[in-house]
Amino acid sequence: MSLLRFYVENSREVLGLLGQHVFLVLVSTAIAVAIGLPLGILLTRRPAWRRPVLGLANIFQTIPSLALFGFLIPLPLLGGIGARTAIVALVVYALLPIVRNTYTGIAGVDPAVREAGRGMGMTDGELLRLVELPLAASVILAGIRVATVVGVGTATIAAAIGAGGLGVYIFRGVAVVDDRLILAGALPAALLALAADGLLGLVERKFAWRS
Amino acid sequence: MAELRESAPFFPWRSAHGKRPALLTLALLALTSCSRSDRIVVGAKNFTESDLLAEIAAQQIERRTGLRVERKLHLGGTFVCHEAILAGQIDLYVEYTGTAYTAVLKHAPGPSADSIARAAASEYRSRWGLVWLAPFGFNNTFAIAVREADAEREGLRAISDLARLAPRWKAGFGYEFLNREDGFPGLAKVYGLRFAAPPTAMDLGLTYRALADGKIDVIAGNSTDGQLDALHLVVLADDRHYFPPYEAAPVVRGALLERHPEVGRALAELAGKIDDATMRRLNAQSDVEHKDLRAIARDWLEHTLP
Repeated sequence: MSLLRFYVENSREVLGLLGQHVFLVLVSTAIAVAIGLPLGILLTRRPAWRRPVLGLANIFQTIPSLALFGFLIPLPLLGGIGARTAIVALVVYALLPIVRNTYTGIAGVDPAVREAGRGMGMTDGELLRLVELPLAASVILAGIRVATVVGVGTATIAAAIGAGGLGVYIFRGVAVVDDRLILAGALPAALLALAADGLLGLVERKFAWRS
Repeated sequence: MAELRESAPFFPWRSAHGKRPALLTLALLALTSCSRSDRIVVGAKNFTESDLLAEIAAQQIERRTGLRVERKLHLGGTFVCHEAILAGQIDLYVEYTGTAYTAVLKHAPGPSADSIARAAASEYRSRWGLVWLAPFGFNNTFAIAVREADAEREGLRAISDLARLAPRWKAGFGYEFLNREDGFPGLAKVYGLRFAAPPTAMDLGLTYRALADGKIDVIAGNSTDGQLDALHLVVLADDRHYFPPYEAAPVVRGALLERHPEVGRALAELAGKIDDATMRRLNAQSDVEHKDLRAIARDWLEHTLP
């Protein structure tokens, strides 16, 4: 109940932080898709690149966020303090599931289907657009879904670099020994993650049905 | 295994009174509560100084009493350490009088050093059965720090000199400082600080880097931090005596001291042995020279308390 009162009393701040949080997740996931999707497709065309690229994405995943921020602060274009640095970090963390699922989804397309496409005289571009991507869509979407849901949780660390978001309440609560504040940040973040998961799950099912 | 999991108690002491077969109870006791009988668990908050002091306390207990000591270092801050010692997960950790008084007990910043220490000690004992031992001898207060070059150019020596520059400067503070009773809001009022924009809220450790890299101009660090000298940062004097004292001392579960009074005696030897300069030097050995925590603690103990 006291949590409810907290929200009522601080409604404008809560909505502001929620908005920042959603913004961070949307922008970083969009950029990660813009980088990760072509990269994943490229890997199916250049099998030799698969190990080093996925290996790198794996390593990115293991860098602790505060250490990553520490490296980013002095950098000219990507670094500094604020939303930009946080988004760079979130993109780095979102890449792996998107690249991996794009690669796996396309690599998993039945070779016979691909051959049939070639036999019909499709170019590589047509094959990708008309055969491989539609068949791999649900796997690729599953990767984006994982990246988004994980991103909602990860975005709480944006508060460590002055980028706001719901993590502000969590950091503040931990700093002043106040469980209510921690919950005030953690609860909406969890609900947001569930909502994102449900929404993308619907999209994913739609594509799975179509293919 | 299933049986074990089913009865693995969240509260180990309750299992002793349950109606479990004696053998299982014994096994559980051996599994879960050996730390209660002959092992002492030392905790620490998530920064170097807390880890170092915990390591020093741990080694001092080991060499003076022969008891086994388990380390649970770098736990997540005041909150986690406090909850852990209340739950009996750790037996002792190092706390700061000002932090206990304002952040844990949630009192407004009070008057004198003595009264804060006394109030914290008596409330900790009556509310939670926790005992404050004698302080180590240094005061880790908030350090309002700026770049050395700025300080020289602008002739900055005390926080009151900052007021005229604040409207042109950017500040970045940790969450603790921004939200504590004894933190930024009070400081801004006492010194009349008005920054161009509200201070950026960020992780405390990152503020040092951001200041050194010129992304912000003022931070609130810890006065015993080894990085201050290494990054060429200058601490401004608290010329209006705004900050309460933050004297570090071990907080110990009273039950442990009753069972092992020798632990209290061993830790009492540390009282008053670490002044501000010593603490800054020990911190720098870890954060700047990257020496091993255990080696730093061992060298200092051998040198100071042979």
